[in-house]
This record gives sequence, structure tokens and C-alpha cells, in this order.
Amino acid sequence: MIVALTFVIIVPTTYLFFQYSRESVQEIVDAQVTKIGTSIIDSAETIFYSGEGSRTILQLNVPEGVTQASIMDGKELVFNVTSSFGESEIIFFSRVNLTTLGANCVSNVCKIPDLAQEGVKSLKIESINKNSVSITTV
Amino acid sequence: MRKSQAALEFLTTYAWAFIIISVAIGALYYFGVFDFGKYLPQKCVFPSQFKCLDFSLRPSEVRIKLVNNLGEDVCVKSVGITNDAASPISCTFSPMPQGACAASEFQWNHDTTKDFSFTSCSGGGYISDTRTEVKVSMNYYAINTPSKPIHSISGKINGRVTPS
Repeated sequence: MIVALTFVIIVPTTYLFFQYSRESVQEIVDAQVTKIGTSIIDSAETIFYSGEGSRTILQLNVPEGVTQASIMDGKELVFNVTSSFGESEIIFFSRVNLTTLGANCVSNVCKIPDLAQEGVKSLKIESINKNSVSITTV
Repeated sequence: MRKSQAALEFLTTYAWAFIIISVAIGALYYFGVFDFGKYLPQKCVFPSQFKCLDFSLRPSEVRIKLVNNLGEDVCVKSVGITNDAASPISCTFSPMPQGACAASEFQWNHDTTKDFSFTSCSGGGYISDTRTEVKVSMNYYAINTPSKPIHSISGKINGRVTPS
């Protein structure tokens, strides 16, 4: 009787907890990526208007699920995020021209491979000339 | 001999109890007591850049209200709906082309909301008064980005199909 009652309580509780946490994970990842993207764009714009040669280092904690980070047209910072219901691109728009290492650029798309790996990353944001801000991992 | 006799006596004495318990569990299952999913909140999850403000699941119709939090005006190329069923849900989506976008696309300005209405939904276990999960995907591009790269987002609605 005690075992039966215990099961009656534990099984539904475990199921509900699992379902709640599964949905929460996606919202947490989204919030983390939004915070990362906003920090990068805010810093890039600040550094750009501080003048050529200005730089700063950001410490960012990239969450699980980010499969790619790239800069498109020097204007869009794009994070590809995989979730339980498909892949989404979380995009941040910059008012200053963004770039990264030339070796990672093909046509108008520049990838930032290290930013697509889970964990703490150091990101250098530097105003390299009068037109661009460079984003590289260090 | 004694063991088998004891087992037979146990069964003849308590068989009615087993039958009653089985019937009771069957009745509880029939009335949905073990459908724990109904205790979960109804939810609409999208990336915060296209936050889901509201949704409704009606028989043969799915409606969602999203807000464009990108900070940029976009052109929406396509919107689709599906689910994990072997024969996925199928709906009709007919947007009204508008703005500076190409034909069959529609413009969505920043900080504005948009109602998406999928009609004539069928298949995919989309049945009235049942809990269901549908996935919505959208392709779009930013109007002010020179090469107009196409981006995609995915979202999920988990709720009960309520009869109108």
C-alpha cells in the first residue's frame, strides 16, 4: 500500500518536473544568447565611437545549443541555436561595421567558430580602422 | 499440495478484489485521470526576438500573435506549421502581401505585432478537446541588410484545442 501510494505521487511529479524543465531550458538558452548578443553589439558600438585603436575584452558564457556564430554583411551578428523544436537564428543588428579574422570570411559571411562552442570565452572587440570593429576570440 | 491449495484459496478469496481494482484503474484511465499532460500550463515558446504574446488553438484553426523585437523591419518570406505526428498537421496560411517586400511576402515593421492565422488545419492528431503540440517556423530577411540573407526561427505551441 505504501509502495503503491509512493508510486502514485512520484511518477506524475517526475513527469511534470521533466516537462517543465524541458521548456525552461529553451527559454534560458534564449535569454543567455540575447544577453551575449546585446553585450557584443553594445560594446562594438561603444568601441567604434571611442576611436581607432580602442579595444575591450568581454568574458562571455556561451550556452549549450549554439551551433554557429557569424557576421553577415558586417551588419548582422547571427547565432544559430538548436532546440527541441528546431533551429532558430537569433540576430542582432549593428549600426557599425563588424568584421573578424579574414581567414574566417567567405564572401559577405564571417564565422566566429569559437563563439559556437559551449563555455566561457574571451572576446576581443577592437576598432581596427575608421570603418570597422573587429570581433575575435582570445 | 498444500502450497497449490493455498494459492487457489487466495485467488478464490481475493479474485473479486483484483477485478474491482482493475475495473477502477480502467475507469480512471478512461476519464483521463492519468493524462498528466493536462496539468502542464499551455505555452507558446518563441525566441524573444519574436516573442509570442498570445495564441489560440481552435478546431481547424491555429492563431498566434507575435511581436517583432528585432529592432529592424523585415520581410517574411514563408511561415509553416507542423508537428511530430507520423502524418503531420497541415494548415493553410494566406498572408496579405504588403509593404516594400516582393510578391507573396509581407512586411513586418519593428515593435509591431502580427497575427498569424492558420486555417483548414487537419491531420497530425489535431482533434478538438485534446492537448496538442505544434511547431511553427518562419523565414524572413531584414530589409536594410544589403545582401538580404534569409533567416529562420522556430517556435512551439503546446495547448488544448478548445471547441469554439
